[in-house]
Amino acid sequence: MSVDVRERRGEGAEAARSRGALIGQSPRRLEDARLLTGRGLFVDDVQRPDMLHAAVVRSPHAHARIQGIDVSAALALPGVVAVYTAADLGHLNGPFSVLIPHDDLQHGRGLSALAVEKVRHVGEAVALVVASDRYIAEDAADMVAVEYEPLPAAVGLEAAVAPDAPLVHDGVPSNVAGHYVRNVGDYEAVRRQAHLILKERFRVDRGAASPMETRGVVAIPEGRGLTMYVSTQAPVALRAWLAAWFDLPEMELRLIAPDVGGGFGPKVMMMYPEEVLVPFAAMRLKRPVKWIEDRREHFVATTHEREQVHDVEVVVGADGTLLGLKTNFLYDSGAYSPYGIQIPIISATTLPGPYRLRNYSVEFRAVYTNTPTVAVYRGAGRPHGVFVMERMMDRIAEALGLAPMEVRRRNFIQPDQFPWDTGLIYQDWAPCKYDSGDYPALADRLERMLVGVADEVAQARAAGRLVGVGMGFYVEGAGPGPYEGVRVRVEPSGKVQVATGVGTQGQSHFTTLAQVVAGELGVALDQVHVVTGDTAAMGWGIGTFASRAAVLVGNAAYLAAQAVAEKARTVAAALLECTPSEVELRGGRAWVGGPAGAGEPAGAGGSAPAGARETVRSLPLGEVARRANPLRGTLAFGEPGLEATKFFSPQQSTFPSGAHAAVVEVDRGTGFAKVLRYFVVHDCGTMINPMVVEGQIHGGVAQGLGGALLEKLVFDEEGQLLTTTFADYLLPLATDIPAIETDHITTTSPLNPLGIKGAGEAGVIPCHAVVAAALEDALREWQVRISEMPINPCRIWELMQR
Amino acid sequence: MQVAGEFVFQAGRDAVWQLLNDPEVLGRCLPGCEQLVPVAEDRYAAKVRVGLAAVKGTYEGSLAVTDKQAPAAMTLRIDMKGTTGFVAIAGRMLFEAGEPDAPAGGEGGVASTRVAYDWDVKVGGPVAMVGQRVLGGVAKWIIGEFFAAAKAELAARGSAV
Repeated sequence: MSVDVRERRGEGAEAARSRGALIGQSPRRLEDARLLTGRGLFVDDVQRPDMLHAAVVRSPHAHARIQGIDVSAALALPGVVAVYTAADLGHLNGPFSVLIPHDDLQHGRGLSALAVEKVRHVGEAVALVVASDRYIAEDAADMVAVEYEPLPAAVGLEAAVAPDAPLVHDGVPSNVAGHYVRNVGDYEAVRRQAHLILKERFRVDRGAASPMETRGVVAIPEGRGLTMYVSTQAPVALRAWLAAWFDLPEMELRLIAPDVGGGFGPKVMMMYPEEVLVPFAAMRLKRPVKWIEDRREHFVATTHEREQVHDVEVVVGADGTLLGLKTNFLYDSGAYSPYGIQIPIISATTLPGPYRLRNYSVEFRAVYTNTPTVAVYRGAGRPHGVFVMERMMDRIAEALGLAPMEVRRRNFIQPDQFPWDTGLIYQDWAPCKYDSGDYPALADRLERMLVGVADEVAQARAAGRLVGVGMGFYVEGAGPGPYEGVRVRVEPSGKVQVATGVGTQGQSHFTTLAQVVAGELGVALDQVHVVTGDTAAMGWGIGTFASRAAVLVGNAAYLAAQAVAEKARTVAAALLECTPSEVELRGGRAWVGGPAGAGEPAGAGGSAPAGARETVRSLPLGEVARRANPLRGTLAFGEPGLEATKFFSPQQSTFPSGAHAAVVEVDRGTGFAKVLRYFVVHDCGTMINPMVVEGQIHGGVAQGLGGALLEKLVFDEEGQLLTTTFADYLLPLATDIPAIETDHITTTSPLNPLGIKGAGEAGVIPCHAVVAAALEDALREWQVRISEMPINPCRIWELMQR
Repeated sequence: MQVAGEFVFQAGRDAVWQLLNDPEVLGRCLPGCEQLVPVAEDRYAAKVRVGLAAVKGTYEGSLAVTDKQAPAAMTLRIDMKGTTGFVAIAGRMLFEAGEPDAPAGGEGGVASTRVAYDWDVKVGGPVAMVGQRVLGGVAKWIIGEFFAAAKAELAARGSAV
């Protein structure tokens, strides 16, 4: 079933052989030795002798009018260098434009650096204090006296759209930022001939990505401009925005996303206030300035995700065929809409899943509330759509007395139906058209993994334990454009530099990109050095998000490495007096004739004297690079050296898929739910490094299970966030996550040369649905309905009292 | 958050009313109160030092008594803010004369007064973000300390008379 993309592309067996040596293998990560021995460089590791430190004064109110700000006491504190308010920034304060506008975002509202006139959520930045150290900055921040007139707050989705709700923004009626309506087929027509109509309301609550490293910004005036270190997922794009914002030539603003301790989406949002405030202060004061977000402010100063309420209706045929689905949902945008309506669009377009849904009606309203701004978090709207669809699949199964898997099988898009056009436009403004997949095969593999599980569950239940099984399928759009680029350069040392503009936050780019390039150039993996997130090394790029790095950067690396290999063969052919097609790149050398697998060629010790060419059967790749960059004479091979920059721009997103299942046990006395086993079958097309893919899945599942059973941001009715420590906002611990059992199928994508489909978000996407189904099964004697996520032991226990 | 309860003083209604309207007494009885200065009739500028979980801070603001119906009822309004957020308390206090105790030693029964309070407490900023789980407990503790101190004041007055 797995299509060999190399054959389809009609490439030479030679290239396939070299690449085959590394793609699909799982070498150890090249970055680990550096990171595990403390040699990483994170933003907070950046030190300068004359560095100043910033702290942000934040609003304690969810909604209030600012009547005055008195900074005199703070300024008088010894060690304080400056205190800035919105007035000091002038036009640089904003508001910043909406990052991703959309026709259906009728009332987009961007962030500002510092609040003007009003604060709209707890934690909104009001002033910036800069001092000689962070302690003084924090003390001074406490001394900034802000006079607030508290206003009623719009908190909670339904409350915010109620007729008498306080307005978050003047001029945005009913707090509705955006209104989106799409119809595929004719839902109302199919509804009239329905055998069965099922309705339900589903709620997914708020969570936080909680990366190990919070955000941080360092700005250093250097040369004529500025060097910035930012814990961001989108260094090149952020540089472009900041340069434009400050009216700096891009070449005078170098932005580095060094090692980043987890991103998961929120760090792709831009511009955050501090990303403007810190360089502003640095340029004003002509000194390096550092701001590192502390954990408590992270909870209110970094974007959240996940709050949606869906009213769903499905129309079903007598045989369980899904004839139509309608959803009307609310999406909480928080106080602003910098990321537009990308998340609810992703929810709307992910909802159909692996099923033949031909009559689909979807409507949503994106709603402003007096809570921190919402932007993407791993999954970015996908878990909601999957939660709704998979819950309804279970409802259909129950209503018709069918097994959950059987209902799904009856509705799967079949392998011969690709490309499958859902009839929707995806978040990348391209058709939401599935490129490849084999959903019945996912089901087969999942069933194979579950052999024996039914018996285990039956035994446990016979012993009085509350154990249940649930499953969930998904299809996710991944790897959207517009493009990424990679520059590959062979140094005379023989080492290969690979530079990409995306930032890296733990995804193993230093290894996976090296695998792609090393295979093409026939060099050892450890000879390839990947540079990410430095605009001075690669000035083009978009960012790391939407499971796109392997798809976009992986393929760009492949194309660039191919171009360098071709040049290397051309140069080597001239030096070895043969044709380029006779040259093979292998073992860090360019060979002609081939020593039939022998080791070092006789007499070829690095740089061969010109007269000895005919006896030399190979050259080190570094030597080839050196010869392509002569000191005298003329350039015989086009541009100097062995270097190429290539870009990959897909026509549309790829569509990976997967099937998960869980065995969950509920404690009869406390309602505590424990995940006993977790199964994943996954199809992300070609895997560059299966170990890395597994790691992505494991991390995703852990975040997904946290989001299902533990993690919930709780606001009081005034908009105060009550969960701002890890004692109140519970992250999954190692003891909460079982050993995750995984299996893969590979249907390669026809949309890119390597056939990759993206894997970053996969693990998290169906977890809500899977856990909900397993809980219902475990609690079957109470006939509970799980239609909200996350769900904690108190709520489970409450359901068990009915 | 709603905080409601009651406290019984072994004294007549007028005496209790006077006690709880005496700024000196209020200043002495309120835990952590560093300053309580009258700024207008029934209006005071206050400075209080309170620790709530990990968040310790000094709060400054105003304390006002309104809608007085001596000696039966009054509304208390406290608005304080500080380095760790803000606290706003508003609510009614009702003074009810209780049945005199049964004579114990042959003398006439001691009058008692039941003070019932029902306050809406709003807390914001870091103090709410970090301390919310202990907020109810701390509020009850502060109120309990206040009334206990007031009762001691009353007892001291009684003995002084």
